[in-house]
Amino acid sequence: MAIGVKVIEKKKRTALEQMYVPEIAKGLIVTSKRFFKNTFGPEEKKEIATVCYPEEKREYPARFRGIHRLTQRADGSPRCVACLCCSTACPAQCIHIEAAEYGEDDPRHGYERYPAVFTIDELRCIYCGYCVEACPCDAIRMDTGLHMPPSTARDHFLYDKDTLLNLPGRDGTFLTANPRHEPGDPTHPGIDREKGH
Amino acid sequence: MPTFKLNGQEIPFEKGDTIIRAAWRAGVEIPHYCWHPGLSVAANCRMCLVHVKSGRPMAMPILKWDEKKKAYVPDTKPKLVPACQQAAEEGADVDSVGAEVQKAQAAVQELLLLNHPVDCPICDQAGECKLQDYYEEHQHTLKRKRTEPVHKPKGVRFGPTIVYDAERCIMCTRCIRVCDELAQDHVLDMRERGNRNEIVLAPGRELDHDYSLMTEHVCPVGALTSRDFRFKARVWFLKSAEGVCTGCARGCNTHVDHDPRYGKVYRLRPRDNMAVNRFWMCDAGMMTYSEVHEGRLVTPVLGRGADIEKLLPEEAAAEVAAKLEGLTDRGKLAIVLGAGMSSEDNFVLARFAERFGASRLYLAARQAEDMGWTGDDILKHPDPNPNRAGAEKVAGRALGDLDDLIGDVLAGQVSAVLALGHHGGEAAGALAALEKLDVVITLASNDGPLVRAASLQVPVASWAETFGTFVNADGLAQTFERAVPSPEGIEPAWRTLVAVGRELGFDLGYERTGDVRKDMNATKPAAEQPQATA
Repeated sequence: MAIGVKVIEKKKRTALEQMYVPEIAKGLIVTSKRFFKNTFGPEEKKEIATVCYPEEKREYPARFRGIHRLTQRADGSPRCVACLCCSTACPAQCIHIEAAEYGEDDPRHGYERYPAVFTIDELRCIYCGYCVEACPCDAIRMDTGLHMPPSTARDHFLYDKDTLLNLPGRDGTFLTANPRHEPGDPTHPGIDREKGH
Repeated sequence: MPTFKLNGQEIPFEKGDTIIRAAWRAGVEIPHYCWHPGLSVAANCRMCLVHVKSGRPMAMPILKWDEKKKAYVPDTKPKLVPACQQAAEEGADVDSVGAEVQKAQAAVQELLLLNHPVDCPICDQAGECKLQDYYEEHQHTLKRKRTEPVHKPKGVRFGPTIVYDAERCIMCTRCIRVCDELAQDHVLDMRERGNRNEIVLAPGRELDHDYSLMTEHVCPVGALTSRDFRFKARVWFLKSAEGVCTGCARGCNTHVDHDPRYGKVYRLRPRDNMAVNRFWMCDAGMMTYSEVHEGRLVTPVLGRGADIEKLLPEEAAAEVAAKLEGLTDRGKLAIVLGAGMSSEDNFVLARFAERFGASRLYLAARQAEDMGWTGDDILKHPDPNPNRAGAEKVAGRALGDLDDLIGDVLAGQVSAVLALGHHGGEAAGALAALEKLDVVITLASNDGPLVRAASLQVPVASWAETFGTFVNADGLAQTFERAVPSPEGIEPAWRTLVAVGRELGFDLGYERTGDVRKDMNATKPAAEQPQATA
């Protein structure tokens, strides 16, 4: 098959453009106007697109996936029940959890377990949000609005349970948006053999 | 053999078989909870309902909604029978997938999940739970009940090994039947009825017989969980290797469940073998997995007591060779085979002894009375050594035990020892004479009295870290697979011995497990050769 050839005419420069100086002057006028407006003009007329990061920071969008946090119950205990759904869903395998059991005298004994160890390697994390999707208890969230602060030490990026529990959401609270009746709460509807049916 | 038709497929059966047993034997699964091939028939879960189309038609009167009349009208539907109780009959035409059966299965499934707490996130059974599997296969509808489910006791301690959760229980009574029929100990029973039903202990008792973990093994849901395995791992991360239990000379077949990401063994499960353990294992056997990680030796140690030097694993073979080379009288070297080590290891040690010129063979074995082991009529064999028969078969004769070795040491006939395995010498002070000898070399995976008496400890791969063969008390040779990798630089004992031989100037000529097995089997009749277990 013959190759079709399409000839494109190159636009010829006009005499004025050929002279060089007028065109440069035109460009400099645009730049200088913006420079003086943005430097000396009134605040409301400034048209500046950049911010002085890190002194100034831009607002992240509402659904921005930032550093993880673990939500708390009203009594400050983690909502996480260490089911390992997040670490199962995690494509980067950056979540390490070791489960533990509430003691025999705890009202949550038998109903709940908790993470004895909960570590996220924030360097390895790809911020996909699958852990948040997988969580059946709304215990892990990525709504802190923060991104990882830079550091030169790798272990600064290993966020342990206490760190994750003490990161607030963007609204400044540590609680979940989806509260529920907990075992041991006076409102929990559970009835057992002792209380009768 | 007579046959019947199940969904159009011919299923052969033996006289006395039920439909579900014949199907199970043919590899066709009829969904079930309460039926277990090793237990009696309870027929209480109703999950295995099937439609027997042949024979006398049985119809049940029902009321059916009529869309035209806008009213319920009398109708009939075929009566379904539980496949676990219905005897198979020649030429019967059984349907287990038809619309009527599917409707029944979905209804049973919905009833079982009516008061289920659906706490799968904290349930250890999640991932291997029949309720989950059958929900996906046979129900797949949303819950219609809008009221709070009935709550029952959770996290009840049943005994040293088992925790019970009544909310998850479906009352299949498998655990009760395991206690009654396998362990012959009626320690579990059922109380109340309907949705107040729960499993309870006999008054004043705990679930503490020798087969208590089998109740957890047969539990199709998360009602009974093992205190040992509870919350340790998620089953979907675990891979399984085929193993043989090292607890006693019975040689129960096991699944060695391990997490390949961490190279860690988490539990054992019985593997069905009708010729050996059927479906079961004892608690002591189930817990033998712990020695893969506990008391594990990882560094070769030269010297005793305070005066020790730790070597690199690569230096071990040369050190063993140097010790053996320095012996003045090779005839005074005692070779101690290990009743806890594989036939391959023992075989290569025996060949090594021949080449080296040592002819004094002994056998290190655990003594039942020293470790408080007693056999029973169910599975536990009186001999607590997994491979005594294999080691003796390799030597070709009955061997003297560690007491004979100590006697010969005291008599001055033995001046050096090369021992395999960490079993033996459990009685206090039994091996005091060995600690006086200059050259006592052990090739062992774990710590033990024999290892502590050694002047040179060489770590080797444990049973979970290598391929091998155990010969049980009945003379049945069974192979097992490697589950997890050995710690860095540690080789199976037979491979270490080949390396030592090379250092000493002779080559035993074994590179792979297959080479050892070929040589080992060459002198044996076919019946005694290792067979891959079914």
